[in-house]
Amino acid sequence: MMEIPLVVENLSFRYRDRQGAAIHNISFEAKAGEVLLIAGASGCGKTTLIRAINGLIPRSYKGEMSGKILVFNEEVKDWKLSQISQKIGTVLQDPERQILGTKVVNEVAFGLENLGMPREEIYKRVDEALEFLKISHLRQRETFNLSGGEKQKVALAGILALRPSIVLLDEPLASLDPASAQDTLDAVRTLADQGLSVFIVEHRVEDVLRIHPERVMFMSEGEIRYLGNIAGLSKVVNYREVKISAEEIEERAKQDPAPAEIHVLPGAASKGPEAEALVKFEDVAFGYDLEHEVLHGINLEINRGDVIAVLGPNGAGKTTFVKHAIGLLKPKSGRVLVDGHDTREASVAQIAQMLGYVFQSPSHMLFAPTVREELAFGPTNLKHSKEQIEQEVKEALRIVNLSEKENDPPLALSFGQQKRVSIAAILAMRSRILVMDEPTAGQDYQNYMNFMDSILQMPAFEAILFITHDVDLAVIYANRVLMVNDGKLVADGKPQDVLRDFDRLKANRLIPTSLLALNLKRFSATGRFMRAEALAHV
Amino acid sequence: MLVAWRYRKRENSFIQSFDPRAWVIFYACFLFSTLTFWDVRFLIPFFIIATYVLLTSGVKWHEIRRAFLFIVGFVFFFAILTFLTGRGGTEVYKEEHLIREFRASFSILGWTPVLKVTVERAFFAVSQLARISSIAIMTILIPYSLNPALYGITFKGVGLPDKFAYAMDLTMRFIPTFGRDFQLTMDAQRARGYELDKISGGIIEQVRKLGPIFVPVTIHAIISSEDIIDAMDLRAFGVGPRTWLDVLTYQFRDRVLIGFGVFILAVSIFVGVMGYGAFWVPDALIQLFP
Repeated sequence: MMEIPLVVENLSFRYRDRQGAAIHNISFEAKAGEVLLIAGASGCGKTTLIRAINGLIPRSYKGEMSGKILVFNEEVKDWKLSQISQKIGTVLQDPERQILGTKVVNEVAFGLENLGMPREEIYKRVDEALEFLKISHLRQRETFNLSGGEKQKVALAGILALRPSIVLLDEPLASLDPASAQDTLDAVRTLADQGLSVFIVEHRVEDVLRIHPERVMFMSEGEIRYLGNIAGLSKVVNYREVKISAEEIEERAKQDPAPAEIHVLPGAASKGPEAEALVKFEDVAFGYDLEHEVLHGINLEINRGDVIAVLGPNGAGKTTFVKHAIGLLKPKSGRVLVDGHDTREASVAQIAQMLGYVFQSPSHMLFAPTVREELAFGPTNLKHSKEQIEQEVKEALRIVNLSEKENDPPLALSFGQQKRVSIAAILAMRSRILVMDEPTAGQDYQNYMNFMDSILQMPAFEAILFITHDVDLAVIYANRVLMVNDGKLVADGKPQDVLRDFDRLKANRLIPTSLLALNLKRFSATGRFMRAEALAHV
Repeated sequence: MLVAWRYRKRENSFIQSFDPRAWVIFYACFLFSTLTFWDVRFLIPFFIIATYVLLTSGVKWHEIRRAFLFIVGFVFFFAILTFLTGRGGTEVYKEEHLIREFRASFSILGWTPVLKVTVERAFFAVSQLARISSIAIMTILIPYSLNPALYGITFKGVGLPDKFAYAMDLTMRFIPTFGRDFQLTMDAQRARGYELDKISGGIIEQVRKLGPIFVPVTIHAIISSEDIIDAMDLRAFGVGPRTWLDVLTYQFRDRVLIGFGVFILAVSIFVGVMGYGAFWVPDALIQLFP
């Protein structure tokens, strides 16, 4: 009889410092050669389940655990982590947090070195893993200089070199451009086809569905709500909770009332167009050192009423570009004008009154003892009155759905919640322009759609710009799309004009989504891009 | 993610022509030898060696300008401070010969500031400059010249156990990573209207107002350390003796360098034990200012 790679029986776990179980009575089996997609909202217990399977719980994360985990019929409770790691490989949420080696070859070899294998065997396995993932050309590259997609594959190669039977991937697509995500998913599919059991925890459900996972597990509040084939998923989950294909959403939304119309930037609409651009880039070039130029000749204006999505591959220069708008970086040549003032002649704090900038990583800014104080920090620096600050904080908390966390320490919240606090902290400053760097990365679908809806309807903003890898976000919210590649602005126009050109999308490592395809199909009737729920009622 | 120093392979670099283990051993010998002396005549050869290594390193001025100016500024600041206050030097000389005395025209609560320029203070400042500059020059070149991919095997090669060698590797890379995180946090807070240069209030209040910088940087460093530990645990780190993928092989010139370093150290210790190399001022100068 064939041994089952993994059996989980009545698994429950409560973190030592938290109340209530993070996962409760989880039971399932994983088969060899299958991809099991694990989906669910932030905080539903997905990562806890992964940690329990790979042994970090209870070895590194302490708490109360009950139930059993069997790997090839052996209970792993008394195994050392090194034993588990030879059977179960884990790619952590962010490859940046996993990569230790300075060169790709050293990184992939790390686990094998630790097991004290002979050097020849290590080289053999490293080359096999690199070849399997088609990244042999990266062998001697420095890990620090790799793109996001390359890092993800290198992290995976480091796991595959250990030849595990089970591979766990915790949100592997969170920071990848669509083409890199697709490459990673293709590699995952091949792994399963070769007989490995692959678990993939991911919010980008629609992307993973493209590789036809054998089963899907949907978790909610620490429990399994659904475990079965893909076809059954869309029947049991709310299409507002999990992102399924646009056709399915359209079909199911027909039975529901039409969604409320979003009135984008009502403040800008009431003021009408402004004579002068809010932000103006004039032939901007920039390099972090003398030898390499990162941005080349950027010319662009951000005007009142613009909702701009900035798309482009990992490492294209998108963040470098938007950091110029707030003056954190100054152009090497050309100039950036914010509200008519050259950013070279204004401090970042002065520009912050006009332009609010939400950083990619929340952990670089959160410091206050409570969420309320965290949110009050920016408006206090900008010398807003006490009453005004109180109102701004309350409003920002409501938008990101964290009103009940007002008195909690932000650093004790989950990553998704911290990200929302970081967005709220900038919303509370009530700048005229909002700039967000990947606001939805690592967020669950329902939460980010809700806060994007609310942000777009805030009367204070006159223009919004967001960097994203999510083409659908551009389809739903943007009225203008900028495409950045290799430090150049390669496209600037209405979403229906820029995103229609599939060759251009491909050249910029973007992949057309079902929502984009559906919108293009219905464009002659709608005259604009819409979300799938709205298309159901056209 | 741990970032590396700005190392790159440089053609015709003297320092890079050696095995990193040989260089680390030579550096350690150089460091301890330099610290043996206060006599500027003995320190000058070390300063010459350091300058030679700097000039033949292949490191471009624009690469090290910022770090170099910071360290030179730091060294000068402390040398001048010692010169002005006379503190520090009193441990190596017993009497002072006055060149000139400057007395302030005002008093604070009955105390009149006086600056005494003495032969010993002047020479102590010069010795201190030569000593610290030599060490600083040699140290500043390490991150630009040692291949980060070889940190671990280098420390293993000089006799550290696996775990310590890898810990040293991570520590070396933690410093630039910390610098990057500090800059990111500064940027994030500046974007929220925070201005470090406008912090006011008493000392305690000023420290409290640095919280928006130091709390995220510290927390981020702790979280990153936990991530690193998880990543290492998940790939069986520390379960037994590890294989180091890279292999380093000593060449003849490496043995010569190590021999030279050990020779310098042995001579320095011998000279020190024989009572030479302590703080020195020329007799002629003392006789000029009896």
